[in-house]
Amino acid sequence: MLHQLAAKAQASNAEVVLRWHANETLAMTMRKGVLLANQSARASGVSARVFSKGAFGFAALPDGPVDAIDRALALAAENAELAPRAKASPLAPVAPGCGSFDHRRAGRAKFTAAERIDLFRALDAAIATKYPDLVSRDLNLTAFCSEKALATSGGAKTFSAAPQVIFNISLALEASDGIVDLYDSLGGFGEIEDHLHDTDALLARIDALYADLRQKAEGAFCEAGPHDVVLDSNVAGILAHEAVGHTCEADLVLAGSVAGDRLGEKVASEKITLGDFSGRGPDGRSSFAIHVDDEGASCEDVLLIDKGVLKNFLHNRDTAQRLGAAPAGNARAFAFSDEPIIRMRNTCILPGDDRLDDMIGAVEHGYYFRRATNGQADLTGEFMFGVNCGREIRDGKLGRALRDTTISGVAFDMLQSVTHVGDTLSWSPSGWCGKKQPITVGMGGPAIKCRINVGGRS
Amino acid sequence: MSAPLDLAEQAVALARKAGADEAQATAARSAYFEIDYSSRRASLARSVDSLRIDLTVFRDGKRGAASITGGRDEDLAEAVAGALIAAQAGVPDDANGVAEGVEAVATRHGPERPDRAAMAAAMTDFGAALARDYPKIMTDGVISAFNDTETGFANSRGLRQHSRRGAYAFGLMFSARDGGRSTSFNHTGWQSFAPRADLLAAETLRRLLDEAVRSLHSKPAPEKFLGDVIFTPDSADTVIGPLAGALSGHALFAGTSPFKDRQGELIASPCFSLLNRPRAFAGGADFDAYGVPTRDLDVIKDGVLDDFLVDFFMARKLGRAQTAGAQNFVVPAGDTPLAEIVGGVKRGVLLSRFSGGVPNSALDFAGVAKNSFYIEDGEIRHALSETMVSGNLRALLRQVYAVSRETVDFGHCRYPYIATTGALISPAP
Repeated sequence: MLHQLAAKAQASNAEVVLRWHANETLAMTMRKGVLLANQSARASGVSARVFSKGAFGFAALPDGPVDAIDRALALAAENAELAPRAKASPLAPVAPGCGSFDHRRAGRAKFTAAERIDLFRALDAAIATKYPDLVSRDLNLTAFCSEKALATSGGAKTFSAAPQVIFNISLALEASDGIVDLYDSLGGFGEIEDHLHDTDALLARIDALYADLRQKAEGAFCEAGPHDVVLDSNVAGILAHEAVGHTCEADLVLAGSVAGDRLGEKVASEKITLGDFSGRGPDGRSSFAIHVDDEGASCEDVLLIDKGVLKNFLHNRDTAQRLGAAPAGNARAFAFSDEPIIRMRNTCILPGDDRLDDMIGAVEHGYYFRRATNGQADLTGEFMFGVNCGREIRDGKLGRALRDTTISGVAFDMLQSVTHVGDTLSWSPSGWCGKKQPITVGMGGPAIKCRINVGGRS
Repeated sequence: MSAPLDLAEQAVALARKAGADEAQATAARSAYFEIDYSSRRASLARSVDSLRIDLTVFRDGKRGAASITGGRDEDLAEAVAGALIAAQAGVPDDANGVAEGVEAVATRHGPERPDRAAMAAAMTDFGAALARDYPKIMTDGVISAFNDTETGFANSRGLRQHSRRGAYAFGLMFSARDGGRSTSFNHTGWQSFAPRADLLAAETLRRLLDEAVRSLHSKPAPEKFLGDVIFTPDSADTVIGPLAGALSGHALFAGTSPFKDRQGELIASPCFSLLNRPRAFAGGADFDAYGVPTRDLDVIKDGVLDDFLVDFFMARKLGRAQTAGAQNFVVPAGDTPLAEIVGGVKRGVLLSRFSGGVPNSALDFAGVAKNSFYIEDGEIRHALSETMVSGNLRALLRQVYAVSRETVDFGHCRYPYIATTGALISPAP
């Protein structure tokens, strides 16, 4: 397929990107021993993007017809003529990306369908036996792999396959004031066998989750308002993604993001260096891998904040041209039917040299937030994300467990308040982002101590 | 090119031949066209022709499923084999199985294809009108789209469904910017069978754009207080989404629904009702994933929980009647004009968008009030920034004291303004 795409792209008179793209998903859900989902899905097809006189035309067709590439090209050209035009400008040039980046493990035994189900049954039975006081227990597995062949008229020619696994365990019990629940996610880059091969380790993780849930059931609601907090390294990734990453996406800069006027300014504590990285991130351990983007650009690292100073935005070829920057491979599409738009890749705060214990010890009256749920960013730099697990900090020591809350702040104000940056980088196993299309991302960071607004009951 | 119903029947026949005791399949062929307009970056016109087949098979009471795009014979054969392998490995359950029924009358809704050139011209006009009337408004992703989907459903008990649905959709994200000031982004959108001649005049758009401009001068709430919240139609899903989840068969089965023993009881204010009307909207559905025809359901009537939202599988699992397959909600209008509701607020927030953590099973919530306004002594005082709203949705439902006369039809749901009290509103420093 790749040779066909490359030949068609080279033969085209227009500026084109041709892509064959298949997303494969395996999903299983078990609730209280009942298998609610047990399915596989494959969504595949070809697409063409044509850039003509300042506008894009895009067309996608499912796998099947032998003339699919030609038809997609013709339809994309027709669509380009229909697209409205304002302030037409060319696209910035890119270094075309080439090479094969297949991260699937070939030749190794994989779990059979029966082995996957047996694992679920064993874990579920163990939870039910050991913790009969639970009202509900859920196990949820999603194995996802995005496989692409891409060629451009500019000479890019590449193949990639990046697998990812997310395994969620969710437990609920009845507290004195109602249901309390908590979930944990594990997994990350790779395949099921990489993450779920050690049943004893999974059971230990479940024991720890149950212990956290028990403490949470007896826990307190946060006191609403601004507080000194320690964000665990598990939380820092979503902070990097929501608070800074989105604010620095050039399409959002053009739409009015406050970051647009701050390039070159000090926007954070000198302890903060934050980037959006190619490959699998600066330590090679992120949950996601990318080498060439969906405009055919070879991926490069982008330092967004360097020692507190805002340095760069994230671009596609269009915004790079308009804002006088060089594209570094941030144009990504989720499915065969999607056009590439500006997305983060592996976004993280780089570690410092502070220890978690010292951070907690430095808080007189505040909170230690251990796990984040969903989050959202804003053009104003204001961000929020949910927190479902944490502890009070009183006089530098951990206190009661916490019920669910939401925390918020203004990115560049909050980053100025950072006094400690931890020495250990960790990546979220379950990075997904929604922005017109869903997409997998890497989100990572160390623990940090800062001041942030906390939602609460009092 | 095979029709979707033929493809669904073919998939079921292949599954039965390969050893499935029962099987069902949905085949959907769609033609999608969108214009993504921007005045600050390159615009896009995108078309997607797609064919998706979803197959579920049952063997010895165990379920497996597989989905593919495209209709190639070899892909379909692979999907059948994959679904059967999954089913063989599965967990038997008495609730597994397919629905009974006969071939239903085919339904057709909306136009079959759009006038693409007219859509493009309307977007150009919209861009010009927006620049003229709202020079401080910045947009990202103004999308005008049309989707035509033909769906066929078949199962091994002879149930057949066939529908075609063509509808327009419009949506945009926007903010206001003036010098160095930016507002939060906001968004809205709707679906309809007929194209809107004047996009700027449709639904709530002008009100939201006016509010965005007024939000250029925002500040936090003056202090922390317990007060009123008026959910606008655009933000009503903040309440309705989690509420529907808590009233679902899945929450009943989990045992986590706070309403699990409350059927027939008052769970909300008598001025609040929640209706499911899947056939009333352009974005609705005539049948569900099991081929069962959708039907109306009064979920909450005058504050009383009439029934839960129970789908085909959970009905069998819980030993209850199936009540819902697709969900398109209506909160009926009240009889109080919005201006009168605002006039009666001592202290509170007009909440246009809520950015918060997903509420937990107990329906506790906390999040940031976006694109929202502070109300004091019956008057909207100023736009809000950096202000959190926290509380419990069950408590807020019981405290609803007014539902507006005005409603907004989004093409997949219809909501009024909903006024309640007892939320904790807290500003950042």
